[in-house]
Amino acid sequence: MVTRRLFIPALSAGLLQAAKTPEVSRRILRIPFWIGEGATLVQAPVAKVNGGPAKVLQVLDSAGDLMVLLILDLAGDLAQVEPAREALITNVQSLQENAWIGLMRSQDGLTALLDPTAERAPVVDRIRELSISGRAGLLDTVETALGLADKIAAKSRVRLAVLYVSDSDIRNYRDDYTNPVINHSDAGDMSRRFPEGIVKEKIARLLARVSTYESPLFIVHLDYRSDTLNNAYQTGLLELANTTGGSAAFCRSNAEIPEAISAMFQTVASHRVAIIQPATGLRNQADIELEAEGRELKYRTRLQLRR
Amino acid sequence: MLFALGTMLAVLLTAASDTEETQRPAARPVQRPKSELEKAAEEFRVQTRNLGLRPDSPARSKRSGNGGLNFHGRLFHNLRNDFFDAVPHEVFQRGGSKGLLRRNQFGFNLTGPVVIPRLFHGGKATYFSVTYEGMREKMGRSYLRTIPTLRERSGEWAHVVDQAGQTLPIYDPQTTSTNPNFNPAQPVSTNNLQHPRLPFPENRIPAARLDRTAQQAVALYPAPNSDAGPFFRNNYFIFAPEQNRADGVNARVDHTASDRNRLGFGLTWSNGVDQPAPWFPNEANPGSPARERRTRRGTVEHVFTLSPRTVNTLTLDASTDQYENPPAEGASQPFPRYSFEPYLSMGRSYPVSKNSRTTFIVTDGVSTRWREHRLRLVVQGIRERVNTFWPQYPSGSFRFSAGYTSLPGIVNTGHAFASFLLGAPEYAERSVVISPSYFRRNRGAIILRDQWEIRKGLTLNLGLNIDGSTPRVERYDRQSTVALDRINPVNGRPGALVVANRDGLGRAFQPVLVKPEPSASLAWNVLGSARTVVRAGYSRSYSYIPVYFAQWGTQAFNGAPTWVSENPQLLPALILQDGFPPSRTFPDMRPESANDTIADLIEPTGRQPTYQSASLSLERELRGQIVVTAGFGHSEGRNLLLSNSGSNPNAIPLSALTYRDRLNDLNFNRSLRPYPQYQKFDVYSSWPEGRYQRDAGYCRVEKRTSGGLTLSAYYEFSKQMDNYSGPYGVQDYYNRGNEWSLTSSNNPHRFTLTYMYELPLGASKLFLTMTDWRRHLVGGWSISGQTTMASGEPVALRPQFNNTGGVVDALHVNQVPGVDPAVAKRGPELWFNPEAFAQPPDFTIGAVARTHPNLRMPSSQNHDLSVTKRVAVTSERSVEFSMVGLNFVNHAVWTDPDTVIGPASAPNVNAGKIIGSRGQRIIQLGLKFNF
Repeated sequence: MVTRRLFIPALSAGLLQAAKTPEVSRRILRIPFWIGEGATLVQAPVAKVNGGPAKVLQVLDSAGDLMVLLILDLAGDLAQVEPAREALITNVQSLQENAWIGLMRSQDGLTALLDPTAERAPVVDRIRELSISGRAGLLDTVETALGLADKIAAKSRVRLAVLYVSDSDIRNYRDDYTNPVINHSDAGDMSRRFPEGIVKEKIARLLARVSTYESPLFIVHLDYRSDTLNNAYQTGLLELANTTGGSAAFCRSNAEIPEAISAMFQTVASHRVAIIQPATGLRNQADIELEAEGRELKYRTRLQLRR
Repeated sequence: MLFALGTMLAVLLTAASDTEETQRPAARPVQRPKSELEKAAEEFRVQTRNLGLRPDSPARSKRSGNGGLNFHGRLFHNLRNDFFDAVPHEVFQRGGSKGLLRRNQFGFNLTGPVVIPRLFHGGKATYFSVTYEGMREKMGRSYLRTIPTLRERSGEWAHVVDQAGQTLPIYDPQTTSTNPNFNPAQPVSTNNLQHPRLPFPENRIPAARLDRTAQQAVALYPAPNSDAGPFFRNNYFIFAPEQNRADGVNARVDHTASDRNRLGFGLTWSNGVDQPAPWFPNEANPGSPARERRTRRGTVEHVFTLSPRTVNTLTLDASTDQYENPPAEGASQPFPRYSFEPYLSMGRSYPVSKNSRTTFIVTDGVSTRWREHRLRLVVQGIRERVNTFWPQYPSGSFRFSAGYTSLPGIVNTGHAFASFLLGAPEYAERSVVISPSYFRRNRGAIILRDQWEIRKGLTLNLGLNIDGSTPRVERYDRQSTVALDRINPVNGRPGALVVANRDGLGRAFQPVLVKPEPSASLAWNVLGSARTVVRAGYSRSYSYIPVYFAQWGTQAFNGAPTWVSENPQLLPALILQDGFPPSRTFPDMRPESANDTIADLIEPTGRQPTYQSASLSLERELRGQIVVTAGFGHSEGRNLLLSNSGSNPNAIPLSALTYRDRLNDLNFNRSLRPYPQYQKFDVYSSWPEGRYQRDAGYCRVEKRTSGGLTLSAYYEFSKQMDNYSGPYGVQDYYNRGNEWSLTSSNNPHRFTLTYMYELPLGASKLFLTMTDWRRHLVGGWSISGQTTMASGEPVALRPQFNNTGGVVDALHVNQVPGVDPAVAKRGPELWFNPEAFAQPPDFTIGAVARTHPNLRMPSSQNHDLSVTKRVAVTSERSVEFSMVGLNFVNHAVWTDPDTVIGPASAPNVNAGKIIGSRGQRIIQLGLKFNF
């Protein structure tokens, strides 16, 4: 009884406290969105944030300036890398003129290979020259890459996209995500019955952080894998990309690689960005609604705010 | 006034501006405003420099700020306790309760750059990962057994009764005589005794007649501590803990020396001790011996990028696994094994042993791209060392039967323990191992692969492995076998012992083998769509003949002399207190030295198990990231290595069954064997005679969603046949075609559902999107699970009696014509109709296949689940609670029905019935701190 007397007021106080969580200051949000293929936007979309009105300050159109941070995370099979190289070169060359490519590598930590440029030749050369050895690094570098993109976006009105091309196997990371058996004499070990736990935990932690970045993440994975660990890993990559408003594709055969890379470049090139300012301050997260008369929009629906 | 001030200010500003301009380089052009893209590029340069992502970044920023280079890892503890588990169904049905269980598994993982303060900072280049894991386990084990009563031990048997409660008479072998009126045409009975014998007076063995060695051993028997009964049976309850422990470390260092050179080092170290529950508190303990396991492994990998299209990988790997049964504490030498059913025996097999396997592997692989070909060449060399010290009964094994204290020919008289008290075993053997064996073997492989993109959407993979292996040799040439083409000097028949590196023989008994292993497969995007893939493949391969942990094949140096009673009812094999009679000494390299033994036989041609497989599948990606695969696979193998139950090169042909009762004459029986000088051959799981074939069709559906759901459903229908598998062995060794039947482990229908789901609750999710403190409660839940359902294995029937004079090891049953073996309603009361089967008549074989073509054991299902709750402490740290449940629904699976078919005169009343179920929910709780 005493416990009950104490518990109910405590719970009530807790709920009241929760309701009083202070709001953070108003901020500007960059929301990537897409409209149907070939469709045009006659007027700026109408935006709502957390159900309240928001002002659309600007729309960066799909024909506008675009900067792609192309990050290569290739440490595996040459047979997959070569078609990927060729497809990347083809798509880089066919990008619109006002699309600049910044080239980076994520094996053994994120490294800038080539500053963003409108010229295609150096990009092509660096892609051809890139060695493919090393450790996979997507999970270790994605947050840095998105943070970099956000900082660039804050200084310029261009569309920013982070595009990873990866053949990473979860077993090829420097970190131990596989939890290998150490004590072979331990016959009663149940801790590895579901070995994907460490991968899921890493993805969950990463998701919480990645959801605070505004730049969309796109991933083309060259090798669809079905084993338990890579299943969890690749589902996690899908989650990461979707959380940021981007998307991920997984190739089940070498023939699929050029098609997937080409489709992803089109997705990247066709994205628009709505720069919106909520009418009221935001706390913790922003649920976004975008509407354009007569158009079905695909857009990022939620953004966590940094505390 | 104001105008004047304004003019002055303008003049001053202009002057200042002029001054600045004069200080600038004169040639500098007027800058145009930067475009947005240029601003972005500039910011890219600034930020990547600050983050340490560029070669020109300050050293300090290179060390930090680049994702993933800080120290992180996890601490974990997993707990199991019998409190969380369900009572096993098989225990519950007998009114039992759970046994004690305390299990703790704990450890940590730490990863990060290698840092030696003031000396070295690994930064991006040198990275380590180290994991420690420890385990402590204590499990209560309980057993109920029968041991001799204290009165029996002193020779007093007046109170001892048989299973029906009648006094069990113990006869005095010293009173044995020969009955001149015995009628051999009539069966032996109390009215027609061949060897009359008198019981001990008052059914008591005089103290003076008790064997001294037996008396010393009996003193080590614990006293009875239970009276579960009946008739003094089940009088010893054992409740003792099994205690296991293990500690291990796994460490890795990666070093990127340059863009083209990368080095990796790995080390694994693990020590484990399994201490089974002791049955006796002294050296006579018949329980399993303690076992220590030590694992060590080290790897070095060097990856050298010759060019963007050519990579070379060199790997050195050394590993050793060591198993040891250490001597019992305080015991100067192992206790002998005494067995006298139905009482609990004394002593154990392999009381002291030590085995280790060390493997060195060097692998070098080059991958390159040439036009439409991706080529890979791998060269591998393997050196295998197996050191083994493996004596089964170093102090001897003695088997006692009731015969010596029985009334000869009359059942239900005498007792094995009474024979033991008199020191009269029917069989004795002693393992003599003069030295450990040091086996060596080399293997090598050249592997060629070509992935050829013939055209867009069609890729062909061609492979060729050239595998080579040397046969097993012993470091000091202490190997022997029976050469079936050499004449035995004793009986002039083929089959004589030969020794390695002697008499013109090589160091090994098998040839060096080099085999090509071709393979081909293709991936074809049909219908012009990358979303539809047809895959087809074919491969042919060989497996190596393993080097076992055993001293098999060293019989000239290590042996097991045996002493067998010529007639256990009349004569003992030896007298216990007199010790072992003189036997041959080792090494004994005479050609006849393996005569009259179970002789080790190494297959001389070195035929390797050969496998072929072909597959065809169609994979289609549907909308919503659903991938459906349907396929068919065929595989077959021959020359599979069989054990002694599946292969017997010294078997008597079945045609000899016509000799009927003469087969019970041991000498006549032996004379019918192809190599009569040997009791049997020991082929030790290495006789290449097995064959199998498997055909399977399957369908798999996989689904991934961005909401964190992964789902995979797999169904397979298969049929697998072979000529060797099963719980009982083979009936006809000489006509393998007669043994072709369903594989004993074949489950034709198998369904597996695997799922992982991050529950859509909490911030950033679909439901309960609370962002205040309540997010810690509602968010972070995930589940993983697997459900497996399988139809039962084929029923393997066995007759209750095998009266074939030792010709048939595993007798099949007969089918009763016109009687359906299936029952209308299967259930535990009756799973199949036993009346459809019959015990074969004496000295005939059974006609029903080794495994029945239609009858199946009960199906099985299992459901495992893991639930995890993650609480974020900070953005970098979290605490995770987990619960893993094996068979979490506590589903009971019926045990297999009784498959023993009795004769019509005494049918097995339990045949076809299921007497219970098995299964248990097992829970493990876990706590993990990730940082």
